[in-house]
Amino acid sequence: MSVTGAGPFELADLPLGPIDDGTSILLTGDDTDLLETVFYRLLSSQDDEGSLVLATDASGREVNRALERTVDGASDRSTVLTCTGPDSPENVTTIDDITDLTGIGMQFSSLVAESQETASRLRAGIILCSSICSAVDDTRSVFRFLNSNLLSQVRRNEAIGICALDTSADIGTSMKSIIAGMSTSFTGRIEVESDGPGRATLHVTGLGDDETYDVSL
Amino acid sequence: MVEHTVLCIGTEDGVSDITATLEGEPDLAPVGRTSVADAAEFLQAESVGAVVTEYDLPDGTGLDVVGSIREHAPQTPCVLYTDVRPGDIDTGSFGDAIVEYLNRDLPDAADRLGFVVGDVIAHSAQVGFLVPDDEESRLDALESYDVDELPIEESFERLTDLITSHFDAAVAFIGLIEKDEENFLACTGADWDSLTREKTICTHSMLQEDVMVVEDIREDKRFAENQQLHDLGIVSYAGANMTTPEGQIIGQVCLIDHERRSYSAQQRAELQQFAETAMEILELRQSLLEAAGPEVTA
Repeated sequence: MSVTGAGPFELADLPLGPIDDGTSILLTGDDTDLLETVFYRLLSSQDDEGSLVLATDASGREVNRALERTVDGASDRSTVLTCTGPDSPENVTTIDDITDLTGIGMQFSSLVAESQETASRLRAGIILCSSICSAVDDTRSVFRFLNSNLLSQVRRNEAIGICALDTSADIGTSMKSIIAGMSTSFTGRIEVESDGPGRATLHVTGLGDDETYDVSL
Repeated sequence: MVEHTVLCIGTEDGVSDITATLEGEPDLAPVGRTSVADAAEFLQAESVGAVVTEYDLPDGTGLDVVGSIREHAPQTPCVLYTDVRPGDIDTGSFGDAIVEYLNRDLPDAADRLGFVVGDVIAHSAQVGFLVPDDEESRLDALESYDVDELPIEESFERLTDLITSHFDAAVAFIGLIEKDEENFLACTGADWDSLTREKTICTHSMLQEDVMVVEDIREDKRFAENQQLHDLGIVSYAGANMTTPEGQIIGQVCLIDHERRSYSAQQRAELQQFAETAMEILELRQSLLEAAGPEVTA
C-alpha cells in the first residue's frame, strides 16, 4: 500500500532538514510546553498532506489551535483523537478510556485509512505517550500498541510518525531504560532541553548527522 | 519460502471470502473456522503465523479469539476484518489485547487485507516489546554462530557456576535472544531452557548499552503483570549484553535473585566483564570450528 516518491516532509520553523517518509521520531523532554511546541512544528501538515494527532491531555479544540498557530490551515487537514474534552469540532473523535489501547488502536487505524482518502501523505503523532505509559498497568501493551499502530502505519504508508514522551512523568518503570529501548525502535530522536525563556536546545540523533540546534520557541 | 498458516474466522460466507483473498498471497496458507470455539480448538493444536477474524461470531466476537491468543501465544499478529465501526465495537475487557483493525467496507479492502497480513507477519508487528531498528542484521549476526555445533555448554556452565558464586546470586544464566524466544545456553541455580521473548526481561535489557538492573520486578510495570516471571521466582534482575565484534547484541549474561537486590557500580562492571568473557568464548569456539573446515566424509 505504500506510495513513495513525493519527496521528504518539510518542517515549519525548525532548523532540521526535511524528514524522509517512513521516519519515526522519538521526541523527549521534561518541559511539556517546549515538547508541545516542537511536536506541533513536526506534525503540522503542509498543503498536500494530512495529519493525525492522538492527544492524551489536550482537547480537540486545543490541538486544532496549536496546529493553526504553527501552520495556517493545518487544522483543516487534520484528524484528532483525544482522551480529553468533547467530541467536537468535526475533525475530533473522543476516546472514553486512555487505557483501552485496543479501542484507540482501532480508531487510529480507521482514521489513517480515512485520511488517505483525501491526502496520500500523512504526519501521525502521539502526545503524550508518557501519559499512556502512566495510565496502563502493563507497559507491554504500550509497546504492542506502538508496534501495531504508529510504527506500522509509518512503515507502510508515505508518512512520518512522532511520539512525544515527557521524561518528568512517573511511568512506573525506569524512564532511562524506556528511552533507551524506544530510541532503538524509532528512526531518530529529538531531545528538547530548555535554554531560558522561549529558547530551547534540540539534540538530534538518528536523522542524518547528529546535531545540536539552539532554537526560539 | 516459508508458508505461514493464517487462521481465518468468520461466518460461513465471510470466512470463504477471507480465505479466498488470502489464497492469492504467495506465502500464506489460510485455514477457515466459523466460531470462537472452533478457532480455540485449532489454536490448541497448531501454531499460526497470523489470525484474521470478523467481529461478530456465532458464539462470541473476534476479540474473544484475540484475547485468548494474547494469553497463550501473545506475539501472534491478529487482524480484525469487519464492517463494524471501531466506535461500535465493545472492547470491554480486551483493552490491552491490541489488534490491527481493517474496515471491510473500504473499496480496496481485499487488496489491503493481503498486504496487511503479509506485513504483520514479516515485521512481527504486534509484539509486546520494542524491537531494535537493526533487528534483521542482529538476527543474521546471531545465526552466524553455529551454536548447536559448538562445544560451549560445559564452558558456559562453568562460567555461570562462577558467576553465581561470585555474586552470591540465586541464578545466573547465559541466554541468546532469538527472533521469538530467548534460549538459555547455560543456567546455574534453575532449570530453564527457553522463554518466549515477550516474557523475558533480557529483551528490554539488550536495548540498553550499560548493565540493566531491576531491583524488584514487582515495582516495574514492564514486568509486574508478567505471571511467568513470578512463577519462576524472579524478583531481582541484572543483565549485561553479549556484543559481537561488529557491535551486534546477540545475548545476555544475567543474574537473578528471589529477593529484592541492588548492585553497586563495581558489581555492574564485573557482570559486564563476565558477559565479555562469554562472548570471547563463543567467538573463539566459532573461530576454531571455522578453522577446522567442513568435515570430510568417505
